[in-house]
Amino acid sequence: MAVLDQGPPHYKKMLPPIVQENYGQWKYHEIPSPGVLKHVSENGAALYSVRVATPRLVSIDFIRDVCVIADQYCDGFLRWTTRNNIEFLVSDEGKVNPLLAELEAKGLRVGGTGHSISNIVHTQGWVHCHTPATDASGVVKAVMDDLYEYFNTMKLPAKLKMGLACCLNMCGAAHCSDIAIVGVHRTPPRINHEVIRKGTEIPSLVASCPTGAIRPDPKNKSVIVNEDKCMYCGNCYTMSPAMEIYDPKNDGIAILIGGKTSNARTAPSFSRMVIPFLPNTAPRWPETTEAIRKIVELWIANARKGERVGEWVERIGWEKFFSMAELPFSDMLIDDYIFSRETFRTSASFKY
Amino acid sequence: MARGPADPEVKAKVLEYLGKVQKAKSRDVAVAIGATKSDVDNAVKELTAEDLVEYLYITTTFICLKGKVQTPS
Amino acid sequence: MTEKKTPLLDELEKGKWPSFVTEIKRAAVKSEAAGELLQVLERSYNERRGHWKHGGIVGVRGYGGGVIGRYVDEPQTYPNVAEFHTIRLLQPSGWFYNTKALRTICDIWEKHGSGLTNMHGSTGDIILLGCKTEHIQPIFDEFSEAGFDLGGSGSCLRTPNCCVGPGRCEHACYDTLEACYNITNEFMDELHRPMWPYKSKIKFSGCANDCTSSIARSDCSVIGTWRDTLRIDQDAVKEYVAKKFDIQEMVCDKCPTRCLTFNASTQELSVVGEDCTRCMHCINMMPKAIRAGKEKGATILIGGKSTIVQSAFMSWVIVPFMKMETEDDFEPFKDLMRRIWEWWDENGKSRERIGETIYRLGMTKFLQGIDVPPVPQMVFRPRANPYVFWNQDDLDRSGTALDGSKL
Repeated sequence: MAVLDQGPPHYKKMLPPIVQENYGQWKYHEIPSPGVLKHVSENGAALYSVRVATPRLVSIDFIRDVCVIADQYCDGFLRWTTRNNIEFLVSDEGKVNPLLAELEAKGLRVGGTGHSISNIVHTQGWVHCHTPATDASGVVKAVMDDLYEYFNTMKLPAKLKMGLACCLNMCGAAHCSDIAIVGVHRTPPRINHEVIRKGTEIPSLVASCPTGAIRPDPKNKSVIVNEDKCMYCGNCYTMSPAMEIYDPKNDGIAILIGGKTSNARTAPSFSRMVIPFLPNTAPRWPETTEAIRKIVELWIANARKGERVGEWVERIGWEKFFSMAELPFSDMLIDDYIFSRETFRTSASFKY
Repeated sequence: MARGPADPEVKAKVLEYLGKVQKAKSRDVAVAIGATKSDVDNAVKELTAEDLVEYLYITTTFICLKGKVQTPS
Repeated sequence: MTEKKTPLLDELEKGKWPSFVTEIKRAAVKSEAAGELLQVLERSYNERRGHWKHGGIVGVRGYGGGVIGRYVDEPQTYPNVAEFHTIRLLQPSGWFYNTKALRTICDIWEKHGSGLTNMHGSTGDIILLGCKTEHIQPIFDEFSEAGFDLGGSGSCLRTPNCCVGPGRCEHACYDTLEACYNITNEFMDELHRPMWPYKSKIKFSGCANDCTSSIARSDCSVIGTWRDTLRIDQDAVKEYVAKKFDIQEMVCDKCPTRCLTFNASTQELSVVGEDCTRCMHCINMMPKAIRAGKEKGATILIGGKSTIVQSAFMSWVIVPFMKMETEDDFEPFKDLMRRIWEWWDENGKSRERIGETIYRLGMTKFLQGIDVPPVPQMVFRPRANPYVFWNQDDLDRSGTALDGSKL
């Protein structure tokens, strides 16, 4: 019989000796080269963390491979970051360059520190999610291939944190990212009445709709969707496979920018929509990669040193951003949901 | 959730109530049998360990007698 | 093993970024399910739609979560992924691992599952992607034997997570690794046995840089801070000057409250402590010269969540400062969480996150319900409307009789 409620493995067993010895005693850190952090403790001990990209979706063979490297260079210790990168924890300075050489030889990518783009936090997409409007891993792969030069260098104005959510539910903190890629459904679910009659529990289905758009249709022993109220979230599909929400012709991607979660300088902020729709051009989403590259390059060319995307846009003004980015502005970008009013310009001063 | 062993009487009432319905939320069970929700939660904890009751997640969490609600085919 | 072609997915093996397709192919060498996943995914790439269904009823004895049922929509075509469930395991604090622990995970998962994982899920768990229903209990039994436990799913406390904290960061204002470990263990019932209106998340960040993005993605954000004044090492300031670092432009001019002054002639940096809002900018810029004060703790914020249903919320302050130094200091936090969850459990509607419940019923009712006094740090600015709900006590205290006497 399994032990219940034993909780997570104790982190202390997972800490390399240098971390145990200098726990809470770290004094400062430097970034000697892109992807390498050097943390120095009060007593002068130095820990090097070598950051390596992962696709997040990894096989056990990959994990075993990185274990072999960690055994050889890090006394068998490593960690993952909040953004799904690996950090090899090296306490012997002499092993840093050999490790970098081995990583290079094995094709593992080092970077993601300081003023660079880190890994894109993302969701499951077509690999595993039941309501995706786009793939997750594939879009991330395409975008990161395109922006790779900003991963292994630190030449951006500030750090660039991106997120991808594969449907409007926006799992994965895409809503507060410098650049957010969001899968969007744009059409209400299609009801397969036969499947509903065969065994869907109608009260649960009705209750599953967050906007109350679904109501029972006793005559047909099925349900009716008030399409004006539907916001395409796909919750109903979770309840019943009869509520098909996917729509290959109309599903796609929206781009939101300017969010952040750090409190540094300015309060944390939401990402704001700048492109309401881009097509799902699998397998490499060229429209999406191009749109993001344009925004990133515009930011690089115009931001002041240290300004994150949202800080830059807020300084120049969103109206200015749209003209500089040559992005069309439309009614789709004006909020008409619950908290819309706070986004309306209640001031007579603005730019053109 | 209440600490310590569950009240056998509450456990019996939970089983009896779940016998009458397909599935229920523990709050509704508590109201129906006149117990506090934390006592019901504690009883359910033991009943699931005894393999008599199970949790369901259908957009929110329900409880039911073990095996009573089938996996969607 | 399948020999079928995947021309679209093969395109995603090109380029410099590591490829998830390569990873699925590696798993497919040993796992028929992983091979079939590749086929399903190639079809999704052709048809531009997903092929997975959500199902509710898979679990292990004694728990109400930790496993997420997943089924392919054409089980006859793809029998090996007809059931392809996800298992969540509680990760060690800060995602630190020794290789022995990692190999144990790999070995058990190789025996029972697809060999595919997410390191890690958005909430923080170790995610094991794809196994059959009959394997779930054996998988849990073996992981349990090896010292691992299931994470949260359903209407429960989801797996808490934390930043790297004092393990490797000079900014940590409290021990995020220990707080996460200790508090996760305290709330095992709440995590494994769903009993609430909906999910509830806690994230621990050691400072206001908030590397776990707790303010955006957790119902309760515990963000490290300090209460006294930040400390400046003037010798280290001079070293920055010597290295041509522009303190005026990069630090003072970007300080949101302009509380820092750099004297170019003396090369000294000074701070007006009471004006500082502890945003972390100057410390980020000059880690060798500026550090947090000595009286450290955490700010507790409540209500963060993503977009569904009533828009995304960011957590807001309910306790400006709470000490978090020792295990005893965790007790008031645990008590607070219990009061908060109890209030939400009593007042929340099904599928309503706590932020939405508070928004619907009002902060006043919430604060009264959890017995926390209102303080100005809770709001950016006070209300602009006069629609106050007065209660009888307030009326008795503030009303006056017509002759001017107290009531």
